[in-house]
Amino acid sequence: MKWKFNIIKLLAYTGCAYVLLFLAALFGFVVSHGLPVLNLHLFFGDTPPLKAVLGLSPVWEGIWPATVGTLCLVLLTMLFAAVPGICCGIYLSCFEKGRRAEYLSLAMDLLAGTPSIVMGLFGFVLILLLRKTVFPQASTSILLSAFCLALLVMPALVTATRSSIESLPVSLKLTGLSLGFTHGQLLRYLVIPSAARGIISGIILAAGRAAEDTAVIMLTGVVINSGIPSGLTAKFEALPFRIYYTAAQYTDEYELMRGFGAAMVLLILSVLLVSAASLFQKSMERSLKGTEKYE
Amino acid sequence: MSSNICAEIKNLKVSFKGREILHNISTQFESGKITVLIGRSGAGKTTLLRAVNRLNEVFDGCKTSGEVVLELKGLKTSVYDSRMALPQLRRSAGILFQTPNPLPMTLIKNITLPLELARGISHTAAVEKAEQMLRTVGLYDEVKDRLNVPASELSGGQQQRMCLARVLALEPELLLLDEPTASLDRKSSEIIEDCFTVLKKDIPIIMVSHSLAQSVKLGDSFKIMRDGNIVKEIESSELPQGTFEKEKYLEELL
Repeated sequence: MKWKFNIIKLLAYTGCAYVLLFLAALFGFVVSHGLPVLNLHLFFGDTPPLKAVLGLSPVWEGIWPATVGTLCLVLLTMLFAAVPGICCGIYLSCFEKGRRAEYLSLAMDLLAGTPSIVMGLFGFVLILLLRKTVFPQASTSILLSAFCLALLVMPALVTATRSSIESLPVSLKLTGLSLGFTHGQLLRYLVIPSAARGIISGIILAAGRAAEDTAVIMLTGVVINSGIPSGLTAKFEALPFRIYYTAAQYTDEYELMRGFGAAMVLLILSVLLVSAASLFQKSMERSLKGTEKYE
Repeated sequence: MSSNICAEIKNLKVSFKGREILHNISTQFESGKITVLIGRSGAGKTTLLRAVNRLNEVFDGCKTSGEVVLELKGLKTSVYDSRMALPQLRRSAGILFQTPNPLPMTLIKNITLPLELARGISHTAAVEKAEQMLRTVGLYDEVKDRLNVPASELSGGQQQRMCLARVLALEPELLLLDEPTASLDRKSSEIIEDCFTVLKKDIPIIMVSHSLAQSVKLGDSFKIMRDGNIVKEIESSELPQGTFEKEKYLEELL
């Protein structure tokens, strides 16, 4: 029987090596092509950086507008998604039990399972509807993209909130109630502060998901050359789309290099966000370790 | 209900998810005493204790029927009275659990937060009260320089005394103790047991004990439980002389 175990061990190690190998290949590929181009020229082209950052001069051949576009998009998306997502997570873990909770959970899973291209189509059709009815000047824009992306990332946030709250020791609630806390006080002073870091981790991961999405934004407002977003109803640029466009239609070596530079920047952004999320999550787990109680 | 009865239970039945744990319990508890509930594991002692401040209801599938009447502020009050808010009830009948359960915050905040939420008093007044309670449980001198460390950094014995101080700060009229020294070493247990002996004069205590020796040492009145019923009630004065004899007698009753 021992050989069966050895085979499983071998498969396990092979699987791990497979993942690590391709991770290294991916990073190696992007870093080797993107790192040499990582400089101010990549971001700002020939425009003086200070003027570009202050918005005084447009940037023609740099990825600064796409970077700003991605950052604005992520911020706007989280503004749309954070409050409903967290509140829904609190509702599902604290207020609703039994069958209703299961149905709501299912609804969340369905939303999460929506292909991003379908979500993009939804946004596009929404604009068409608005144009025909109440809002004839409606158009695809950063606002629409953020709204659709928020719908896409919200389930992840709901799940993160829920699992953070559900991972709190049962004794916390029991202790609070035994000391005369009302349910509201329990939530405000014990549950949410204890689950906060897990929730923040969820927000950061959702932000990462919003930063990398291409399908949704392609149908709802991203373009290749609009400069930094001028307002909520403006078109915008974004890093993922810049990468896609470059790969599909680059005309010279410089454009290709900028594409790699954009890929590098997006990768760095993703790594930073995932690391930050992980730090928050681990910090929460560590703080709960000391308070695990058998009840 | 005569004037020195602090709690009265009539026809109490408690079941969890269809399984009945307490069958028709009727009994009384007197003030000025420590009443110890004795019984084997699964006899229903903790369930009976938690029925007093309705803490059983926190658990899913709990069904309770019967009456629990407490003497609070000189008045006989049913714990199911609609005028008695649950938070207030749980402060009036304070409970100490088997394993210390500090809130995830500093030592001082563990005591001041429930106090501030309950009374709406100022933070300074709460801190003063907290320090006073820490002195009552004999913890103040040990921790006076560490009031702002996380409570989880204290030793088990210190944590349990902090929990006692926390409960006492809410000025309960009844103290419920669920095997309060079960997870503590001997020295810490003795310190806390001394606190109980002093406290019982002002606050009646109902206690579940994990050890017959402790029960004999502290108890003035005993209720023997078996399979969800109270099978015998006996006063300390009715027990045979001698610690060993007392323990043996009680053991045989189980």
